[in-house]
Amino acid sequence: MKKMARKLSVMLVLLALLLPAAASAQGDVVTLEFWGGWTGPDGDIMDQLVQQWNAEHPNIQITLTRQQWSPLFDAFVVASASNEAPDILAMHPQELAQFIVLDLLTPLDDLIAGSEILKPENYLESAWNPNVYEGTLYAIPLDLHMHGLYYNLDLFEQAGIENPPATGAELIEIGKQLTVDANGNHPDDEGFDPNNVVQYAINMHSNHHAFFQWWALYRQLGGELISEDGTECAMDIDKAAQAWQFLQDLVYTHHIAPQGQTDYARDFLSGRTAMLIDGPWQMPAFEAAEAETGFHWASAKYPQVFEENYAVWGSGHNLTLPSKVADPEKRDEALQFIEWLAANSTAWARAGQLPAYREVMESEEFRTMYGREAFIEMMPYEVFLPGIPAYNEIFASNAPTPMMVMAQSIMLEQADPATAAQTACDEITFILQMQ
Amino acid sequence: MRVLPRPRTSAVASTASGMGHLYSRWTPYLFLLPYLLAFLTFRLGPSLFGLGMSFTRWSIVGSPEWIGTANYELMRIDPRLDAALKNTAFFTGLTVPLLVVLSLALAIFLNQPHKGRALGRVAAFTPYVLMSTVVGVLWTWILEKDFGLLNAYLNKLGIGGLPWLVSQDVALYGIILTTVWWTVGYGMVLFLAGLQDIPAELYEAARIDGAGPLHLLRHITLPLLAPTTFVVLMLTLINSFQVFDQVYVMTSGGPGTSTLTLVQYIYTTAFQNLRMGYGAAVATLLFGILIVFALIQAYLYRRGIRGVAS
Repeated sequence: MKKMARKLSVMLVLLALLLPAAASAQGDVVTLEFWGGWTGPDGDIMDQLVQQWNAEHPNIQITLTRQQWSPLFDAFVVASASNEAPDILAMHPQELAQFIVLDLLTPLDDLIAGSEILKPENYLESAWNPNVYEGTLYAIPLDLHMHGLYYNLDLFEQAGIENPPATGAELIEIGKQLTVDANGNHPDDEGFDPNNVVQYAINMHSNHHAFFQWWALYRQLGGELISEDGTECAMDIDKAAQAWQFLQDLVYTHHIAPQGQTDYARDFLSGRTAMLIDGPWQMPAFEAAEAETGFHWASAKYPQVFEENYAVWGSGHNLTLPSKVADPEKRDEALQFIEWLAANSTAWARAGQLPAYREVMESEEFRTMYGREAFIEMMPYEVFLPGIPAYNEIFASNAPTPMMVMAQSIMLEQADPATAAQTACDEITFILQMQ
Repeated sequence: MRVLPRPRTSAVASTASGMGHLYSRWTPYLFLLPYLLAFLTFRLGPSLFGLGMSFTRWSIVGSPEWIGTANYELMRIDPRLDAALKNTAFFTGLTVPLLVVLSLALAIFLNQPHKGRALGRVAAFTPYVLMSTVVGVLWTWILEKDFGLLNAYLNKLGIGGLPWLVSQDVALYGIILTTVWWTVGYGMVLFLAGLQDIPAELYEAARIDGAGPLHLLRHITLPLLAPTTFVVLMLTLINSFQVFDQVYVMTSGGPGTSTLTLVQYIYTTAFQNLRMGYGAAVATLLFGILIVFALIQAYLYRRGIRGVAS
């Protein structure tokens, strides 16, 4: 009895040792690590896309790891230090430079030379170019996003307004009609009580989106932020202050936007604000609200406040191939996936993203999706924040960076725009010269 | 005094003689070894590594470059560091007394034999079990300016709401409120343990001598709780200086720099901006501050014990 038990256990151990070998002999399965910072509904759609790929490609299996962007990049840098970076990493174009100067990303020009899909002419210029750093391509664009203007059709109808505002002057004029205090007065009426407003015309960001809006207006005025050699702040303080003044006045002078607002989407859905400036990622939530409660919404372009140029803050997602990986041989498979993702990005558009791949962007299926038209029109005009190595130190939203401090002091504390802009500019120069 | 049953002497003797050769002067150190190894690997080692790192410029990838005391010189002109130091000091200065007094008051109240005592203890301690992110998200909602729970009550009471997390003037108070709610239960449990160590006879004797409740508190409870108070003080002080999670979740250091704390600054500098050297230098500064407090406290504690003994 004892002998048999021993025999059996030896056999079991042998079996356990042999099994993995047998599995790998079945065929070479390449596994790819893919990291992305999508934590909302867009992440679920990316998950589904990866599952679809895995089902269609049994020999190339992809694992998608999702985590918020900032800790994701922390993990990426630490993993890179021990040559264990993911095979594919998603990010935003303006974030590339900080990793490029550390040599953490693979230059792509030679790798995609033979690709029929990953070519500049297949993509929108405004999406492709921000991924080129000092003449070298480091990422393939996936989508774009930018600020647009959403409006509540019912509240517009009640106020007798037909069209959303296209300019700054229209925004203020329409805004006053859409702002109502508890007694039914509008901002220019006698007895209007700015401390007891029940309906505001438009939201006002108190987070990083405040300086995103400022960036759009400052670029509409033609302003530059960083000197060409990248060593100092090149802010035109007059123009910077002018752009900020417009935003500050919406809250403190015209009283058509709330002060210290935090939950913009909720306020728009509940009718507390009649308009909302935010990105295309909001559309799935509005679509859901429309289905559930009959919420009527439409979208329009971000207003052109200054006549010089039309510009709207924007960014986008892209896909990079990290350089410090365990096995660089997997790059071909990674590129195959990126090609496949480009061609299959219509599903991605359901998450509110705007595909950067021309064929999908120009497809009937995408263009006729409700609410997308205004965003598609803005795609060529979106302006990215400067993609410089010190991006995080100047623009990060989760730390008191010069831009956050400037935005919050002007929009929350009603600081003088010119003074706050000058302070930010000095801090930016200080940071650039520490590099 | 309870009397323990005495072990059979023969068994003790035989064990001692059988194992005797294993005892040596190294034995205590062998018992210490597992902890010592962990301490060296995970505490002292990294600390010394960090100290070394503070004299370099390093981005985690690549090799560090020795730059002498440049990081320490930068600290002297860094306005963000000033703000972080000021905020952390203010936070600690307000949070520590609040926590010590409130947790003591709660402990004394919940040590009385009245109904609902167990429920009260659980209710006061439960928040401490929550994860910092949960606390942060919950209190961001409670402290919301326009539709938050707290402002709704303040408005009902006719006091009027405050722009808790969206104004430079009050944001830090919002964080302090959150922290006190979150951690008061921990101090309370320590104080409860301390209270239960005080012999009931002392109170009885004092009552017979005609002492009122305030006398009991002043002359029995507080003096005999002194060792516990020292422990609570020390722990809340160290934790307050290292405040990070709830701030990061609730305000990320804003609005402006009004809630930026030392540990958030270290985290941002080192891991987000990849200036490991400068981050390590600021961490060394924090270490220095904490060491000073620890030494002061150790000194006071020793003097306190001598005072009690004499």
